Amino acid sequence: MKNKGNPAPRPVGKEGNDAPDDPARTTELMVSFVLRSGVIISAAVIVIGLMLLVYHGMAGLTSGIATAFEFPHTFGAVFAGVAKLDPVSVISLGLLLMIITPVTRVAVSIVAFAMERDWRYVGITTLVLLVLLVSFALGKAGS
Amino acid sequence: MTQLLTQFFIILAVAFVAGTVGSLLGLGGGIIVIPALTLFLHVDFRIAAGASIVSIIATSSGSAATYVKDRLSNIRVGMFLEILTSVGAVCGAFLAGLVTGSALYVVFALVLIYSLYPMGKKIALELGWRVHPFGERKGGDEGPDPLATKLGFSSSYYDPAVKREIAYDLHHVPAGAVIMYFAGLASGLLGIGSGVFKVVALDTAMGMPMKASTATSNFMIGVTAAASAGIYFLRGDIDPLIAAPVALGVLAGSFLGTRLLAKLAGVSIRIIFFVVLAIIAIQMILRGFGVSS
Repeated sequence: MKNKGNPAPRPVGKEGNDAPDDPARTTELMVSFVLRSGVIISAAVIVIGLMLLVYHGMAGLTSGIATAFEFPHTFGAVFAGVAKLDPVSVISLGLLLMIITPVTRVAVSIVAFAMERDWRYVGITTLVLLVLLVSFALGKAGS
Repeated sequence: MTQLLTQFFIILAVAFVAGTVGSLLGLGGGIIVIPALTLFLHVDFRIAAGASIVSIIATSSGSAATYVKDRLSNIRVGMFLEILTSVGAVCGAFLAGLVTGSALYVVFALVLIYSLYPMGKKIALELGWRVHPFGERKGGDEGPDPLATKLGFSSSYYDPAVKREIAYDLHHVPAGAVIMYFAGLASGLLGIGSGVFKVVALDTAMGMPMKASTATSNFMIGVTAAASAGIYFLRGDIDPLIAAPVALGVLAGSFLGTRLLAKLAGVSIRIIFFVVLAIIAIQMILRGFGVSS
């Protein structure tokens, strides 16, 4: 809030005004929006899952958190569980949404840099996204 | 039932502290989450590491949403260096099955100990103590790295602590890039140290101001962690009942941490970081010699 009167780093026009249409600012606001939305949505889904858990009386979890128990850890199992409103699956969905937030942020940055016509950074960001996707693919193959 | 609730709130509290410290210092909070879960709650190390990955992503997304908007995170520097950290993380994950961890812990710990010296000197200079400036680049006459100019790394942010705009250039980009690769390698290989090495690369090697360094590290660690989070999830290492309170607690903590960063002086953050850096180095050496898990 306090940085409202921030001068732009490259002054546009005669005075370094706030320049709300500064393209670099658009990228920052888009990236910030994606991160904030990802955090809020995933936290909300986790909280819904926890509320379902309390509502269901935490059956079968009496021995405490630290004890190992069966939980879904494939995408198919999580989605199947969510369809049945299984509390633990809903929590897992929230965690998955949290995990993909940084990846979404990278993907959206490509669009933002393209809007800015900064092709060098479109290239750099695409490369980062490719490496991320490769790592996901490798993870899937390895497990 | 009561035991379950007690454990839930303990994890929530631990995660809150981890989120606050992590968002302030550019770390993922694994340094707090892993020992707390394994030592106090006797959680399996595998599950604790999975919770730590969730903690890193929550700290990163929760704090970077604010830091990017306030221009404290330099997104160009972050995006460029993410190439190196993510490639490093993939290489590390591959090597993890081939090399034994213990010797590596000691090697990475020595790198951290080595970086304590220039960081300590910087603190001394900032506090106005009379010391020999570190290297030649403290002279201040040196221009930005040509690569930094080409990649548009120069930026500025408003620092509410000193009530003015802070503009900066970056130096020694290749050296910083190499450290970033090893930061990625360490996180892929050992699942730790993702944030500390990034802050050392940005602040100590490339000369970015401390606040911008921790904020930019926070922006980056989520991506490095996401690169391995998928693997952890599919292996069944992310226990939802432990990761859920970790995620929520860390998010709440990062809300506090981002506000603290704006208010605190750069030198105060550097002093806290210096202490945490030393603790992490000792922790890693102990683990390397098999003293602690």
